[in-house]
Amino acid sequence: MEKRESLWEAYLRRGFSRRSFLKGCVALTSLMGFSTDMFSKVVEAAETKPLPVVIWIHGHECTGCDESFIRSGAPLASDVVLSSIALEYDHLLSAACGAPFEAHLDETIAKYNGQYILAVEGAVATKDSGVYCMSGGHTFTHLLEKAAKGAAAIIAYGSCAAYGGIQAAKPNPTGSAGIERFVGGKPVVKVPGCPPIPEVMTGVVMHVALFGSLPPCDSDGRPKQFFGNRIHDTCYRRPFFDAGMFAETFDDAGAKAGWCLYKLGCRGPETYNSCGNLRWWQGMSYPIQSGAPCIGCSNSNFWDEDPFTTRLPQYGKLGDVDKIGAALGVLTAAGVAGHAVASIVQRNQRENLIDEDHHE
Amino acid sequence: MQHVVVDPITRIEGHLRVEVTVDETNGTVTDAISSGTAWRGLELVLRDRDPRDAWAYIQRICGVCTTAHALASVRSIEDALGIAIPLNANYIRNIMAATLTVQDHLIHFYHLHALDWVSPVEALSADPAKTAELQVAVLNAYRVDLKVPEEVNTEAYPHDFPAATPQYFAGIKARVQAIVASGQLGIFSAHWWDHPDYKLLPPEVHLMAVAHYLEMLDKQREIITPHVVFGGKNPHPHYVVGGMPCSISLTDGNAPINTARLAIVDRAINMARDLVNNYYLPDLVAIGAIYAKAGRVDGGGLARTRVLAFGDYPLTGYKGTSSGGYFDNLLVRSNGVVENFAMGVDKAVFTPVTADDLKAPDIISEGVQHAWYEYPDNAPKDLHPWKGVTKDKYTGPKTGTPTMWETLNEAGKYSWLKTPKWKGKLCEVGPLAHYIVIYTKAAKGLLPDPTWAEQMMLKQIEVVSKVLGVSAEVWMPTMLGRTACRCLDAQLAAEINKFFFDKLIANIKTGDTTVMNNEKWTPDTWATECMGVGLYEAPRGGLSHWVCIKDGKISNYQCIVPTTWNACPRDDQAGHGAYEQAMMTTHVAIPDKPLEIAKVIRSFDPCMACATHMYNAKGEEINIFSTDHFGR
Repeated sequence: MEKRESLWEAYLRRGFSRRSFLKGCVALTSLMGFSTDMFSKVVEAAETKPLPVVIWIHGHECTGCDESFIRSGAPLASDVVLSSIALEYDHLLSAACGAPFEAHLDETIAKYNGQYILAVEGAVATKDSGVYCMSGGHTFTHLLEKAAKGAAAIIAYGSCAAYGGIQAAKPNPTGSAGIERFVGGKPVVKVPGCPPIPEVMTGVVMHVALFGSLPPCDSDGRPKQFFGNRIHDTCYRRPFFDAGMFAETFDDAGAKAGWCLYKLGCRGPETYNSCGNLRWWQGMSYPIQSGAPCIGCSNSNFWDEDPFTTRLPQYGKLGDVDKIGAALGVLTAAGVAGHAVASIVQRNQRENLIDEDHHE
Repeated sequence: MQHVVVDPITRIEGHLRVEVTVDETNGTVTDAISSGTAWRGLELVLRDRDPRDAWAYIQRICGVCTTAHALASVRSIEDALGIAIPLNANYIRNIMAATLTVQDHLIHFYHLHALDWVSPVEALSADPAKTAELQVAVLNAYRVDLKVPEEVNTEAYPHDFPAATPQYFAGIKARVQAIVASGQLGIFSAHWWDHPDYKLLPPEVHLMAVAHYLEMLDKQREIITPHVVFGGKNPHPHYVVGGMPCSISLTDGNAPINTARLAIVDRAINMARDLVNNYYLPDLVAIGAIYAKAGRVDGGGLARTRVLAFGDYPLTGYKGTSSGGYFDNLLVRSNGVVENFAMGVDKAVFTPVTADDLKAPDIISEGVQHAWYEYPDNAPKDLHPWKGVTKDKYTGPKTGTPTMWETLNEAGKYSWLKTPKWKGKLCEVGPLAHYIVIYTKAAKGLLPDPTWAEQMMLKQIEVVSKVLGVSAEVWMPTMLGRTACRCLDAQLAAEINKFFFDKLIANIKTGDTTVMNNEKWTPDTWATECMGVGLYEAPRGGLSHWVCIKDGKISNYQCIVPTTWNACPRDDQAGHGAYEQAMMTTHVAIPDKPLEIAKVIRSFDPCMACATHMYNAKGEEINIFSTDHFGR
């Protein structure tokens, strides 16, 4: 096996200075949510670990995840694709097509057997032997199984690859599912979201590239650094929730004043994602900041938890909206307490599950 | 005869396969198959859902033209429910739509299409100093300064301007050299770089284009920020039926939209104008002029005989598409069909598309003769989308197995795309169609009091015709014309952005901050049964969403999308669709390396996930996977 180059070697090869290399490491350290004392470790990792080969395949999807990936602000997509990883197979960006492209995939799988990162975007169509998603004359299931076999790490990008996504919503016409059951029992890093935040996408692949290991994940396989908090926990509108100040209808006085969107169906309280802290476009906004209630797009079954502008009791983990609203309206403290209790209940529920199937 | 399969076609959205039969003695394509090879069934997913949520589901048809389907969806629901949206909401939606158009076209040209024309390998023999000279020459010769009559110019100077120094190009060249030397070619692996087409352009053009490929990869994210400000994210920004969720307030401390947020939008709009005017258009014209000079005006296909567009950008908050409000109120009145354009504009025939046409049972319809669906025995051959019945019927390939194809069956069914028709005929859609319609209408005196945007389109065509040295009828309906008109459309959309931004500011200035009409928000205000249609002249062409609502729920939802019009399988009466005809009018130099086929297909900017999601049969409940990690 020929030696693959490290990030530092890649910087050297492309004629960058040591200074710009270190700058890149600083950006990555903060991107990956590490404190600055991790900086030397990031530099060390970047200097010594080989430049990873990435194979990116597409099942039932909309290419929104690819698009999100290239929107990354730090690192920039051009830097990732041309300097940090070797993206050998990707339907969106690769120059080649047809037979030579498929042959290159096979060569890459053989040459880097056991070493490459497999990024998967899109769900697996399982009905009727997978004929609803064909590529290169084969089913996507065939491609996924083939590519998963020699993968060092598998990343499920987006809610489709993680959980089945939009096409798996009722009545799931093509029998679509997440990729986990089709990768021969290998651990899958799930990066849900429809799509995931750009810097979360590049952050996960950079973690694998730099540290040569999967990022620490929760029981569901989601990187803790990006999916450790509910949006509600980090939402800048949280004080309005706690104070019982809600937008009652779209564009009412509360909506204009940027109050809490809970009563308009916001799924922030049950959605684990980085929208509240990282936000989109490096802090520019996220749906709630733009006045739109969260639809919970990183949750496993969110497409069937509609209607989105209503908070149905069975989906509202904090209980009935009117009761909560009334309680908060009358006595804020009671609402806060109620919320705290609900949060604790939910947290316990989650931790029990983590204990139950801790498979790492 | 040689049978050539290209699968997968890359640098597109989704899964597309083409098969062509090439006469290797003269390079002509005698038959061509275009097949959408995946089907997700999203319209079935929409059944029985709340119509107010439809935009969120159906937007997931496509993450490349994200926003397109959300916009067509809210328009269709509002048409069905009889909702007029506020002025501000109309302006904001138009800005988001035009922003998408600029960004989508820019990405298409540089990141999806450019590598069909330019090669990093050729760039290696470029002289950096000569490349800098070329950049200056290109900017001198090909900058086309056309602008909207603007209220205020908020940009002090063009912030985004191409570098034209030898050092800059030497740096780019060194990087390309290093990548090639390393043997790890990444995204540049395994392509037909030795194809003679890459020798058409001098090395310096290749180096300049590669540099701009990289720059635009970094910049594209910045011009889409209006989606992030108004819709919270991108891809897949948020909408709401009845207006927009992004409330405006200049008096509250925490409003979604205030002066500072609008300034972000303003900056993105200015940047988009700069990128199109200083990079995209000059690059395109420089490459196009060389191709035109080499006589490369093939690949026209169906554009020569029939194109269709819907028109767009409602000037005010309108009410009703199927009742005519939409068409009465357009900035670009390209709604109509032009036939026989290639015979000369005198002989071309223009037919408008009206609100009555949308409702007529036999004007717009879809057939399934060669698609993997079947209609009931008693149904007509083609069905109007409101009456659309679709039932999947997968028949496998001609040779190979159902899960391992060798060749598809052109005599039978071979695609997951239906075949859309206008008056029983097939049409090409897209920016090219949009421009052909406006050009033909103007030439025939059918464009009274042209708007500034329509005037700009005519001027653009005039300028490009002059540079290429051939008439519009010659260069437009070709592979090159398709790619060129997309660029003109980007320049136009960048100005349309500015136009509606100025309108938005002027309206807010009057004290109007409303973005939402809540009158018909609750289902008790809706008719028990109603139908609607939503149109949008999307980046890839005329898009229509068709909805039937019954008892407050969606009872039927159909989309006829641009890529379905273009990539559809043939019809035994109506003939071949646009992709197939384009391939059949393209010369292939080396059948084993059919670069021209991939190039002509990419000149349409394919979006397969958009095209292959038709389903509204009486679907059975099947196999719902429980993936909820809390719900076990």
